[in-house]
Amino acid sequence: MPLLHEIGFVLNGSPIRLSVPVTMTVLEMLRGPLNLTGTKYGCGEGECGACTVLVDGLSLNACILLAVECDGREITSIEGLAADPAAAGLRRAFVEAGAVQCGFCTPGMVVQGKYLLDTRTGTDRAAIARGLEGNLCRCTGYRKVIDAVERAGTAPVEAADD
Amino acid sequence: MHNSDGSNTAVTVRAYHVPQSVSTATALLAQGEAAVIAGGTDLVPQQRTGSGTWQPVLVSIRRIKALRGVREQAGQLWLGPLTTVSELLCDPLIARYAPVLARAADCFASSQIRNAATLGGNICNASPAGDLLVPLMLLDAEVELSCSRDGVISMRCLPIEEFLVGPGSTQRQPAELLTGIRLPLVDAARIFVFEKFGTRPALDIATVSVGLLAVAAGERLQQVRVALGAVAPVALRARAAEAVLEGRRLDDEAITAAVAAALEEINPIDDVRASGWYRSELVCNLLTRVLRNAVAS
Amino acid sequence: MTNSQTTQQTLIGQRIPKQDAPEKINGRARYVHDINLPGQLVGKILRSGRLHARILAIDVAAARALPGVHAVITAADVPTQTIGVTRDNPPLKGDKVRCERDEIAAVAAETEELADAALALITVEYEDLPLLLDVAAAREAEAPLIHDDKPGNIALQFDYEHGDVVKGEAESDVVIEDRFGLHYVTHACMGVSGVIADFDDITGNLTLYSNTQVPFLHKREFAEVLELDPNRIRIIQPTIGGGFGSKLDIYPFEPICVYLARAAGRPVKLVFSRAEEFLASPTRQPARVLLRSGCRNDGRLTFRKVDMLLDNGGYTSWGATTPMVMMQTFSSLYRVPHCLYHSTAAYTNNPYAGSFRGYGNLQATFAVEAHMDKLADAIGMDPLEFRLLNAQEAGEVSGQGMHFRSCGFKDCLRTAADRSDYLARRQQNIEQRSTGPVQRGVGMASMLHVGGGAKIYPSDGCGTILKLDDFGHVTILTGASEIGQGSETVLSQLVCEELGLPLTSVTVVNNDTDITPWDVGVHASRTTFIAGNAAVGAARLAKEKILKAAAAATGQPMQELDLRGGGIVQRQDGSTLMTLDKLLRSMHFQDKADLVITSYYYEPPSVHQDDQHKGDVSAAYAWACQVVEVEVDSDTGVVRLLKCTAAHDVGRVINRLGIEGQIEGGIVMGQGYALSEDLAIRDGHCLNPGFRDYKLITAPEVPELDLSFIETMDGEGPRGAKGVGEAPAICVAAAVANAIENATGVRIYQLPFTPENVYRALRAAAHDPPV
Repeated sequence: MPLLHEIGFVLNGSPIRLSVPVTMTVLEMLRGPLNLTGTKYGCGEGECGACTVLVDGLSLNACILLAVECDGREITSIEGLAADPAAAGLRRAFVEAGAVQCGFCTPGMVVQGKYLLDTRTGTDRAAIARGLEGNLCRCTGYRKVIDAVERAGTAPVEAADD
Repeated sequence: MHNSDGSNTAVTVRAYHVPQSVSTATALLAQGEAAVIAGGTDLVPQQRTGSGTWQPVLVSIRRIKALRGVREQAGQLWLGPLTTVSELLCDPLIARYAPVLARAADCFASSQIRNAATLGGNICNASPAGDLLVPLMLLDAEVELSCSRDGVISMRCLPIEEFLVGPGSTQRQPAELLTGIRLPLVDAARIFVFEKFGTRPALDIATVSVGLLAVAAGERLQQVRVALGAVAPVALRARAAEAVLEGRRLDDEAITAAVAAALEEINPIDDVRASGWYRSELVCNLLTRVLRNAVAS
Repeated sequence: MTNSQTTQQTLIGQRIPKQDAPEKINGRARYVHDINLPGQLVGKILRSGRLHARILAIDVAAARALPGVHAVITAADVPTQTIGVTRDNPPLKGDKVRCERDEIAAVAAETEELADAALALITVEYEDLPLLLDVAAAREAEAPLIHDDKPGNIALQFDYEHGDVVKGEAESDVVIEDRFGLHYVTHACMGVSGVIADFDDITGNLTLYSNTQVPFLHKREFAEVLELDPNRIRIIQPTIGGGFGSKLDIYPFEPICVYLARAAGRPVKLVFSRAEEFLASPTRQPARVLLRSGCRNDGRLTFRKVDMLLDNGGYTSWGATTPMVMMQTFSSLYRVPHCLYHSTAAYTNNPYAGSFRGYGNLQATFAVEAHMDKLADAIGMDPLEFRLLNAQEAGEVSGQGMHFRSCGFKDCLRTAADRSDYLARRQQNIEQRSTGPVQRGVGMASMLHVGGGAKIYPSDGCGTILKLDDFGHVTILTGASEIGQGSETVLSQLVCEELGLPLTSVTVVNNDTDITPWDVGVHASRTTFIAGNAAVGAARLAKEKILKAAAAATGQPMQELDLRGGGIVQRQDGSTLMTLDKLLRSMHFQDKADLVITSYYYEPPSVHQDDQHKGDVSAAYAWACQVVEVEVDSDTGVVRLLKCTAAHDVGRVINRLGIEGQIEGGIVMGQGYALSEDLAIRDGHCLNPGFRDYKLITAPEVPELDLSFIETMDGEGPRGAKGVGEAPAICVAAAVANAIENATGVRIYQLPFTPENVYRALRAAAHDPPV
């Protein structure tokens, strides 16, 4: 029986308490007991960014983050951004810029894109490209993903309408 | 390995602690069989790929405030081991006193890894290719190691060159916690270069990395530090190369001699990333280029 | 609706966002990894890790006894059926193992941990056999025999000829011969392989949740392998995390999952780890190519003679059939009067290759385009003029019988050259070699690929069923799969264009063999062309039916009516006579109800090749030319791709946003093939089964891209469009090779152009060979 540890954290804006095995990763926690399958398994070793989530506003790879290390923190997954008016412009930009093909890398790209916008890296294409260096994509060749983040980063501030 | 009832004979974690102070943490480590986790960006992938195993006791140090921060103290720059690589990139004191460390931080993995990976973790992981280790060598870094006995914390300091023993191996005793990194502050303006070879700006395990730190005095270099990564069991100070360069006019002859000396000091291996021969070639060509650029600037 | 002019902007050529993008950006798209059935078990495979050995015994008793393990199977527990292109691959190996990935046993357990525990309890006794790792040695008499029934280890051979290469060589003023080496790369789809098998308790029917690219072919193959009636197999295709040809063949893990489900009596889900994905997925076909080419002093190509050796690995998959495409490039990329082609695929204990975007064309183009530059140089002609001289034009028929009805080849060449300032830059790079270690170079390469399907299966067709409801909403049921390339959006555009409907009124169903009509599969860049024509066919039938009813309803002759803006309009002045939904309801709610439901099966007018491999195998052909600019650092061997100027003959742009995405992604895939991706197979083992050391291109490495679309308006393609999915990946590596030569004066004949490989080549060329 693996050792369990109780943690309390805020997930997509709502507080939650949960008992998890000590060696369970955030990715396993999201996709397993929490049934949030938007965050993807791409490699399990922090090399591809498909599992990117925000923890206290920082983008991290969920596959190499222990769930127990999230105690007391705020986690935002792609499902949280889907419901977040502050991310509406970014989501719309991804759709309109043609940044989605098979879509498997997309949740990680959107979360990382949100992080780049929040840290003011959204207007310089070279900086955006550097900011996405930890997110692998096999379909798009990245140009339209960079377009999407740039479009969201340079868009005029508008009222939330999603 | 598994028992016939399916239970894992490999070690699993039986206790998990989140100490809030150095004394609590070191007391836990003193009990033995404990592993420290900070960002987890080396520890967790190693468990997943089987190149490491969990220890029975897991001690998370992320809540220990005393391990955070970057500050000037007594002619030194003190860095908390929990300083993340992202924080190294933007800290104003680092930018001012140790920009070569910020430069290496910029070559480190990815944004997501930089947000979690810590300075202390990178040091204790002691990878031969560890990106931060070359700058720390250049900066004459020292590590503070703390342990507790009968409730009293004692600390010793080691130069990083001594601390790093071999691939994945350091002088840290199981009961010790890395509690600080010290960089001597240097008055004079210094030129610095850090070049990590790769086809990408970051997200590469270094095939070779080259670092130079020196005070430029006219056409001569003083207080020369040359460090190389991924070409020996640990990141190494190329002292023979430094000796050639110290106080000398930096002409082609000096550069050639320094590079030749450096090549004698390295022992690069063949692995899936590169052959040892190619690594030597890279050291030769990159160090030459670095020194020539130092002349030009 | 008023009587005013109803103008409708055409949907064709517009930038249309992908229809399923919203659910993907919200994390709601359900990939096979995200689907969990009640009672589902976890399936895992025990792989041999050994390269060549006889299996003496497999002991699964302890694994079977483990609580929570519901099935453990070996070859002894399943039908003796084999899979693969030549049926030489038993899903579970019983007699011997032939490569690292070989499947020995499989378990179905309640959790992943239990499945791993069960695998660890299985013991296997092997008798090691001598290894065969060098395909060049495979045919020798003393080589170990990989398959007892395949003497000389020969898997497949292909021979092709048109003209007479002896005559061609005699007519040549210049003859060159070179060896080229093409390496192992892998698809590295972001979504790993996975499948769910579910037998119905009552009927015993099988439902497979599979990311296959060929659902209808799979249905048939599964029926054979499982000894089931094919009409009792249903394949549902969840959203796919990338295909690129990796899912064109039936691979052991899928039948294994079905056998587990059958044995356990519960649904089983089997998903690869990333390491397993690298180790067990089919690779791109590696190749050793000997190309001999000639031309006259006036610039005309005379002949190409090709001898090719392909490492077939332990078993035969689609990689061994890539010669069918490669010979098309050797015979027909540029006008070649004489061509002789031979390939042998021989078994070894290395990994085996499947189909991968381009299907051999990257390898063939790499050789052909190197020789185009070399021949031009040998006769002192500029490489653009040399290519233009030999480039085909519309109306020509190649030596292999391919009819180039629409052909924008020369336009592609000129456009790419003009926009990149190719000739001037190329000359400048030669004349003004910089003094430092960093040199710039430009290189050009073109490609020819099928663009209207490829008739290799008995049918190259696709069926569509169209249904309109009472409110004017159209549902398109198409056999054509969507694998991220945007086919559903293109089909929607084509149908809505025919019926004058907005894109908000359309639903596409494309992922269930119980619901959709047959399609041979998504490959050969065929979906826009074939599925598009099928959808347009069904739409035109629907339109005819609607207008006939409208004529009766309005008293206007049918030929004076049209469908626009959601209504029936006067063709000449566009005035609306009635809304479409009102007409549909009136057709429905009458004594003799008449719903608008139509179907159409489009079979392209291509032919099967004869036994000489000759014939017009595709209904249209696509062309492209790419010029790349590189920077080579001779101190390190690093080659940076600075810019790619691409001109693609696509027939007609249907979705401008989608086609740009396909081209950009394809170019970057080609960039990876050329510069950074290298599946390190050493002594039969893959040493880099992960993203840490298998280097995909990352965002900061992407070059500047300049894309041009040459619209040749193909007569058979839907609205003039031709296929484009594979084209952009095909000639990048060839162009990079030419660019490196321009930068350094050194031509490198093996891929990949990784820094160490380039460094060694430059040193060797400088007569300063590496140690």
